[in-house]
Amino acid sequence: MERQYDVIVVGAGNGGLAAAANTAKAGCSTLLLEKHNLPGGCATSFRRGRFEFEPSLHELCSVGTEDRPNVVYKVFDDLGAKIDWCYEHDLFRTIVKGQDGYDITLKSGVDAFCDSMEEAVPGCYASVRAFLDLKPKIDAAIDYIYASKGNPNPVVMLVKHTDFMRTAGHSVEEVMTALGMPQKAQDLINTYWGYLGVPTDELNAMHFLNMLYGYVSDGAAMAHHRSHELSSALVDVIEKHGGEIRYNSEVTEFLYREDGSCCGVVANGEKLYAKEVISNVIPHNVFNMSDPKVIPEENLKLANAREFGISVATVYLGLDCTAEELGMNDYTVFIKGDSYPRDQYNNRLEDGLYIVNCLNKVVPDSSPEGTCTLFFTMPLFGCDMPRDLRPQDYKKFKNDLAKRYIEDAEKTLGISIVPHIEEISIATPVTFARYLGTPEGTIYGYKLSGWDSLMARTAGEKEDYAIPGLSFCGGHYIRGDGYSCAYIMGEMIGKRVAKRLKGGV
Amino acid sequence: MAEKKEKKPNLLRLNPLDFTKLTPVRKARIEAAPARELRPADTYVPNRIANALHPDVQYLKVTEIIEHDCDNKSYILGPDHAKGTDALAWFSAGQYLSLSMEIGESFATRPYSIASSPNDALKGEYRITVRRTAGGFVSGHILDTWKIGTPVTASQPLGEFTYEPLRDAKHIIGLAGGSGITPFRSLAYAVAEGIEDAQMTLLYGSRTKNDALFDEEFTALAEKCPAFRYVNVLSEETRDGCEHGFLTAELIRKYAPEGEYSVFVCGPSAMYRFLDEELPKLGLRRKFIRRELFGECRDPAKEEGYPGSKAASYQLTVRVSGKDTVMTCRADESLLAAMERAGVKAPSHCRSGECGWCRSKLVSGEVFVPKRMDGRREADFLYGFIHPCCTFPLSDIVLDVPPFHP
Repeated sequence: MERQYDVIVVGAGNGGLAAAANTAKAGCSTLLLEKHNLPGGCATSFRRGRFEFEPSLHELCSVGTEDRPNVVYKVFDDLGAKIDWCYEHDLFRTIVKGQDGYDITLKSGVDAFCDSMEEAVPGCYASVRAFLDLKPKIDAAIDYIYASKGNPNPVVMLVKHTDFMRTAGHSVEEVMTALGMPQKAQDLINTYWGYLGVPTDELNAMHFLNMLYGYVSDGAAMAHHRSHELSSALVDVIEKHGGEIRYNSEVTEFLYREDGSCCGVVANGEKLYAKEVISNVIPHNVFNMSDPKVIPEENLKLANAREFGISVATVYLGLDCTAEELGMNDYTVFIKGDSYPRDQYNNRLEDGLYIVNCLNKVVPDSSPEGTCTLFFTMPLFGCDMPRDLRPQDYKKFKNDLAKRYIEDAEKTLGISIVPHIEEISIATPVTFARYLGTPEGTIYGYKLSGWDSLMARTAGEKEDYAIPGLSFCGGHYIRGDGYSCAYIMGEMIGKRVAKRLKGGV
Repeated sequence: MAEKKEKKPNLLRLNPLDFTKLTPVRKARIEAAPARELRPADTYVPNRIANALHPDVQYLKVTEIIEHDCDNKSYILGPDHAKGTDALAWFSAGQYLSLSMEIGESFATRPYSIASSPNDALKGEYRITVRRTAGGFVSGHILDTWKIGTPVTASQPLGEFTYEPLRDAKHIIGLAGGSGITPFRSLAYAVAEGIEDAQMTLLYGSRTKNDALFDEEFTALAEKCPAFRYVNVLSEETRDGCEHGFLTAELIRKYAPEGEYSVFVCGPSAMYRFLDEELPKLGLRRKFIRRELFGECRDPAKEEGYPGSKAASYQLTVRVSGKDTVMTCRADESLLAAMERAGVKAPSHCRSGECGWCRSKLVSGEVFVPKRMDGRREADFLYGFIHPCCTFPLSDIVLDVPPFHP
């Protein structure tokens, strides 16, 4: 009686959706299990009054346009998923508070970006250009590594891909400093550290450059109808190709064969079997739902060696005035108490870094006429939550937090926000612990520490994910967090699993 | 020209061989880590708070019944330890519990405002107050069958009818009618006990003073607590110390403070309709008017834009995890009501189109959704998702519904 699927995907986050859409499209019978009543994980939306909010920072890199599609555009397009993409052409505005502070807006487009950098920091042009020029060299090296099936000739690497090795082997700041980039220019560009969750003195240069280039070359893109549109489009693909999605179906156990290979899961008390299981759920939780005997010791050690990635606190505001009336002229403003990323990271509880987004600047009709929304993001770890915080004090805790940031933004931007608040919702790592179920409410999976960088993860992939029949995708996987990363990885895993099932390698 | 003189930026000072160290460094880090069991996610601080505030389900039982009169009873609900609920989730005054129950062949959920102080939850007590309504299927069942010890399955506290300090004015004018008084009882205690840093003037509309639930309690609380003021507004009785008439704009203005105030409204639909005429006269900005859920729509024909139904009833096919159940749905009842009558367990909480918990895929068929209740997400319009609690059939329907958990 028991039905066996080709593939069971656990979790309908961005990675799980992209994986399931690819296996279903490849003709594999696919079951996607999601514990919530909605797809998307963070890529969703929620309603308050007459507003529909975007729950997470909604700008994707590496999308591109119909005429100049980049990798994320292709992920959706190849699946036949139609997205109404909207684009932001300024990269961001960044304000450093205080006496030596500054207020600078950077443009997207490689030339415009370099020009706006030179204008902000005279003399930095050549080094900024040189940093971006590393991108094609990296791509060429990665193409070569793929072509050699992961076993590149060391001599070829050293002779032909030396700059790739230098970039991929060092931190962002090491590479920028070697290029002679002035500190202020570094700090400006490195504003983006928060998107990968690790300050740039530790973050791998190649990884950062990949993301930076994605924003610089294509600008930021987002779906017209909040991220719920992205998730819904992928759900539609899965169902069109005969895939099945079950909501309200939390997986509580992973099932294994005698030989230790994964053969299914338990959801709603029902055993469900598949030839291959793909987990969008973080390995920590998967291991805790598995027979300890099947977890390879090295994988358990890896999980113990890792730190959890960053989470955030966010404030969603629906305002009863337009962005123009409010005096909000930018889609993204990074506001910082310190100019240096490591200081912003260390001071995150006091006066580090936060981001203010006004979606109406890119999607004017994202809220009713005469209104606008603001969205505040503060990087925060789950372990930053006070240990002794009682549930009954949580509402006050989050309102105090929101008040502090809203008032700071009012002062810094010279605008009046509080009197216009018609709807408010505040999220913290507690909220993300609730919805994602990750330990500490981490959004970013595992921290992309210096030793656990994208390159090192890529090289170690085979040993890191050693349970047969069980693949992983999502923010905890090789490329770390970010919508774009999760879609790209989900597609890769979905295609790989489908190929294996169809008799490939 | 300048380029020739200046050295081109380069990476010569970085050793390319550092790249070859990435893997050995990582391997050494992994090797040095212990192979110990991983801490369960539930043990981390954010997860612990999340679980305490948002349990998937709360198993409760009736511990005390307070009979106000034959048609109004309050029930004190405590944790059902035997079923695994050890503590009650904290809530914001104004929130509700969605109770689910089997009644004969049917299965139903209903939202009930928590009428007690949030502090009582810490002592293991929620209070709900149930009023018998004409034809009220669930209210009648509760009033007639619940006894001390009756098990009750409840959701976590839900709803947005709460005081939000960064949004609302510090002074709340509460407009209550009939059994709509219950969330205000909670809010009154929250104000009195300093849980919410706000003041409240409660204008409570009843036919007679005798009909006003918790009247003595509110009077006593107001005497004790300067932040809380209580005014009876009686439509069918003239009495000293009470206002006579309805909750008019004029009356609200009389009790409103100088400066800004927020109006919180909870009552029967007739009161909402009355206030739709009155509140605009106050010239308040939209943000200063908060309404509790409208409640179920029981007559779609009265709704704006209803196109009329060709038949009195239709065939409704409900698909849950791939299994189909076929039933009849009357044109004047919501898809959710038909499912409940047929005993199909379907998720739902607010029953007012707002919370989205019942979100389901309309596989085929034509439906009507009253505009005022349509709380769907934009993308759900694009992909054919609906909220069955406020959706009415205009043809035979096939609906894919997520599985239900208590």
